[in-house]
Amino acid sequence: MNTKWVGKRVKRIDGPEKVTGELKYMTDYHFDNMVWGKVLRSEYPHAKINSIDIEPAKNLPGVICVLTHKDIPGFNGFGIVVPDQPVLCSDVVRCTGDAVALVAAETLEIAEQALSLIKVDYEPLEVVADAEYALTDSAPKLHPDGNLHSHVKIKNGNMEKAFEEADIIVENTYYSPRQMHAFIETEGGWGVMDDEGFLTIRCPGQYAYRDRMQIARSLAYNPERIRVISSPIGGAFGGKDEITVQIYLALLALHTNGRPVKIHLSREESVIAGIKRHPFKVQMKTAAKKDGTLLANQVKAIGDTGAYASLGGAVIALAIEHSCGPYKIPNVDLEGFCVYTNNGIAGAFRGFGVNQVCMGIETHMDMIAEKLGIDPIELRKKNVYHQGEVSSVGHIVKSSAGTFKTLETAENCDLWKNRAKYKSEVSEPWKKRGVSVATSFHGIGMGIGLPDYGAASIELLPDGTFLVGVGCEEIGGGNSTAYAQIAAEMLNCDISNISIVQGDTHRTLDSGTVTASRSTYTGGRAVAAAAPRMTELLIQTAAEMLNLDSSQIALRPNHISAHGEIIPYKSIYKYLHDHHQTTRVEGHFYLPKEKEEIKGSGGAPHHLYGYLTHVVMVEVDTLTGETEVLRVVSIPDAGKVINPQGLEGQTEGGAVMGIGYTLYEDILIENGYHKTRNFTDYIIPTIRETPLIETFPVEEPEQSGPFGAKGIGEVVMIPIIAAIMSAIYDATGARIRHLPATPERVFNALKDLKKQKVQSTR
Amino acid sequence: MLVSEIDMITPSSLSECLMLLSKKGRIHRVIAGGTDATVRMKEGKWRPEVWINIKNLNELRYIEESDDCIHIGPLTTHTDIIHSPILQRKADVLVDAAREVGATQMQNMGTIGGNIGTASPAGDTLPALYVLGARLELTSMSNKRTLPIEEFIFGPGRTVLKENEMITKIIIKPQSPNEIGIFQKLGPRKAQSISIVNVAISLTMEQDLKCREGKIAFGSVAPTIIRARKCESMLPLGQLNDELIRNIAKIAWKEVMPITDGRATATYRRDMASALLERGLYRLMRRWNNQ
Ligand SMILES: Cc1cc2nc3c(=O)[nH]c(=O)nc-3n(C[C@H](O)[C@H](O)[C@H](O)COP(=O)(O)OP(=O)(O)OC[C@H]3O[C@@H](n4cnc5c(N)ncnc54)[C@H](O)[C@@H]3O)c2cc1C
Repeated sequence: MNTKWVGKRVKRIDGPEKVTGELKYMTDYHFDNMVWGKVLRSEYPHAKINSIDIEPAKNLPGVICVLTHKDIPGFNGFGIVVPDQPVLCSDVVRCTGDAVALVAAETLEIAEQALSLIKVDYEPLEVVADAEYALTDSAPKLHPDGNLHSHVKIKNGNMEKAFEEADIIVENTYYSPRQMHAFIETEGGWGVMDDEGFLTIRCPGQYAYRDRMQIARSLAYNPERIRVISSPIGGAFGGKDEITVQIYLALLALHTNGRPVKIHLSREESVIAGIKRHPFKVQMKTAAKKDGTLLANQVKAIGDTGAYASLGGAVIALAIEHSCGPYKIPNVDLEGFCVYTNNGIAGAFRGFGVNQVCMGIETHMDMIAEKLGIDPIELRKKNVYHQGEVSSVGHIVKSSAGTFKTLETAENCDLWKNRAKYKSEVSEPWKKRGVSVATSFHGIGMGIGLPDYGAASIELLPDGTFLVGVGCEEIGGGNSTAYAQIAAEMLNCDISNISIVQGDTHRTLDSGTVTASRSTYTGGRAVAAAAPRMTELLIQTAAEMLNLDSSQIALRPNHISAHGEIIPYKSIYKYLHDHHQTTRVEGHFYLPKEKEEIKGSGGAPHHLYGYLTHVVMVEVDTLTGETEVLRVVSIPDAGKVINPQGLEGQTEGGAVMGIGYTLYEDILIENGYHKTRNFTDYIIPTIRETPLIETFPVEEPEQSGPFGAKGIGEVVMIPIIAAIMSAIYDATGARIRHLPATPERVFNALKDLKKQKVQSTR
Repeated sequence: MLVSEIDMITPSSLSECLMLLSKKGRIHRVIAGGTDATVRMKEGKWRPEVWINIKNLNELRYIEESDDCIHIGPLTTHTDIIHSPILQRKADVLVDAAREVGATQMQNMGTIGGNIGTASPAGDTLPALYVLGARLELTSMSNKRTLPIEEFIFGPGRTVLKENEMITKIIIKPQSPNEIGIFQKLGPRKAQSISIVNVAISLTMEQDLKCREGKIAFGSVAPTIIRARKCESMLPLGQLNDELIRNIAKIAWKEVMPITDGRATATYRRDMASALLERGLYRLMRRWNNQ
């Protein structure tokens, strides 16, 4: 297909103002009459609240209001799936991120002082610090239904027989870290109520309409009287999917006499109160035949969701759905548990549970390949499912599936082909290099049981340009540019004639979340649905203006032409306006779904998946245990690539995030208290830890997507985790199964290896 | 003390600064690049009543060689150190260490005086200053004294600096042509990281790989920087080949007394003292060989 914008390296339309710093994030705004809000967090990870005394705080000069659970007009709770998290705790606190009271004051310092004057009488309770302990009878119950939030199970085939028939079985346990999103803009925003009781909340989020619903529920307020503006965002990665401070802002705005109130969490508060990635313990047992055919996979995954559910149930369900990789394993027994503890709160995060299980299955693939003497790419190619085949969870994959192609590309890339040479080029004698491969996949959109739709509007503006509106926020991934490309392509105009508005309940239609790798696919399809309506409107109007039949009108770049006459869009706007006709069209789209849910799976399967293979080279300093990732090859199947530059933004950012997850990052919590405070001790990769990253997309077009596109926002960070782990093994012979693979962990593994060798030579 | 209640005074000369320091009444603290001061202020640890801002005292920002000594002004930034031809030639280990401080932004703002003033056991220029035999000049309105850096720092964040004094000069002995040095750091990542262990080495070489004498100072493995005297005494025992290097390095873990904290366990720190010494000596010898 010959395209002018789609598939081209189009510069980010939001690039210049972000790079120059000209763009103001919502937390950058200041107003003359503004007041500051602060949240009082719990002193204990688990305690009973006997009483809360706010009088001394209220009496502090400069304090405007102090609010507790008693001041919540509506429902005291929030949560995307189950609203089990109190807005303000009344009787019990379940983690140190729990909010107990709110303050608004003239200055930030006064607000902080006021917090210290609120006297909460707590009675500390036993802390549930471990997910497995939480499931025992001796652990105190954190919620009325106990500590098991959800349980999913998928079972196919005959496990016993498969393990009996197997020629080889590998079995291991994997531990994964509590990763933090580490967005540059911590949670924050502002709220204001006007004289007529109209409430505006400006707060970065990943679904303005749902945030509005949650605010309205707690305020017992008509949602039509609330406007939520949620874009632009200084990063989210899933961490702003759940309510962050929106409800606090709304509650305070009810009490500040029309003055705007701002809350902006410090990094330290964000570490404690913000959601994190679920740490998992994954036990996996995988069986294969001598020829490498996978026979069976048994998985038991326990995820620590912390004090509240948020999206924990869905994370575990997605983990289980993806726990066998993009392979066809006939016999599976997969079980996941989502468990409450007092360890902060876990929720959505790029990858959504798949990261934690990918490291298991992909390590097992490598172990099996090594033991059987089969090339690791061959082994994978042998077992992957193709479009139309049955996946490990037992459904026929009807959408495009590019794993095989990505593996072929991996096989032929320079790094893999010449790996022996690259591995020999170590710079110092104690350094060792390894090269490894891993592959994974990730569902696009919501699973079964959740409505999933997209919507977009296109408006002709007085100057003859177009305003495209999509609910999905620009969280930094570049969907705004993709929308502009699709609109420009279909409206046959220059991209500079397109402007985009996103994430605003008063200016955009509900188009679902910016999560689940769905926003380019869904929003793009919605724009593609709206565009023909706009062309039709233009043509019909021109026909009316010229008194011609619409078949005589042609759409040319940026104008209409008919009988040698040129009609600029400006004139069409004027005509419509003068005739009191609408200049706006809408496009709606419903995501294709699978018909039947896999029993007990909690929403599997997805209809669509994005696929990706990583090849990496690492160098391990065996003196210190430091691991450096030297090169990454990222081979995505994102369907048709709308913008190669945007795709590279994702593959590169994703690779670095995956490196951070594998080697550096973990929020440490001991007995319910955070040991990690801020970026001094939460280590994320810098440019010096960023290697050469190459991107080679294979395009396996997806019929249902806009121009054949799928989604890729999450899988870009997944297989690299397993690939780095295996590359460390390839380099040193040591397997790390507890992430992050810090220098100390790698060093200790090397030490153990030496000990084993000494023992075995004795 | 609230941050908004803290005053800041910016003296325009050293003598004015010393006068301000001698004033009794309000609790004061000097602020130079502020890269430690602002962090600790935010944490609530350093909340003086008044900051005395010396960042603009250019008379304290210099690197000069005279009387067989190199004189470094305390306001010299890490970037100044990295780019100084004198130091590159005659204090390579200090240049090496300055390169490892934070990242470019920190090197542009942070000063050597501030690194010494903070007296962190993990301060990266400190081991280098120890092996270069640094002496510090402390000045008050009425007095001037000079003392070795070992005597200046006596615990984590604890120094002998009096309220009315400030560091006005750092004096080091320039390396002779057969002296070579290196700084090795292990942090949780390459840039912007606090040392888990660091080590500075300075060796006086003879023929081949023979070393006449040397100094080794470790950071982050004890309450202050410590010299590894046992290892030092083994340096001249023979050709510094891979085997001797490994043997010397093995002894290092006996010389250190690290603790376990969020960044690493004591055991790992001990092992890393050996590892960094081995890595450093190996790299030094390779460089010496190539010279
Ligand atoms: C992100 C980040 C990364 C960092 N990384 C490193 C690192 O890798 N290695 C490292 O060693 N440090 C690091 N630091 C700490 C800091 O940058 C250095 O210690 C720096 O050298 C401090 O210098 P300064 O001028 O900013 O000191 P300031 O913060 O201005 O002062 C520090 C202390 O020294 C005192 N002081 C300053 N000048 C004088 C003087 N002339 N006389 C007497 N007292 C004085 C002050 O009163 C104060 O107590 C880092 C800091 C940050 C924020």
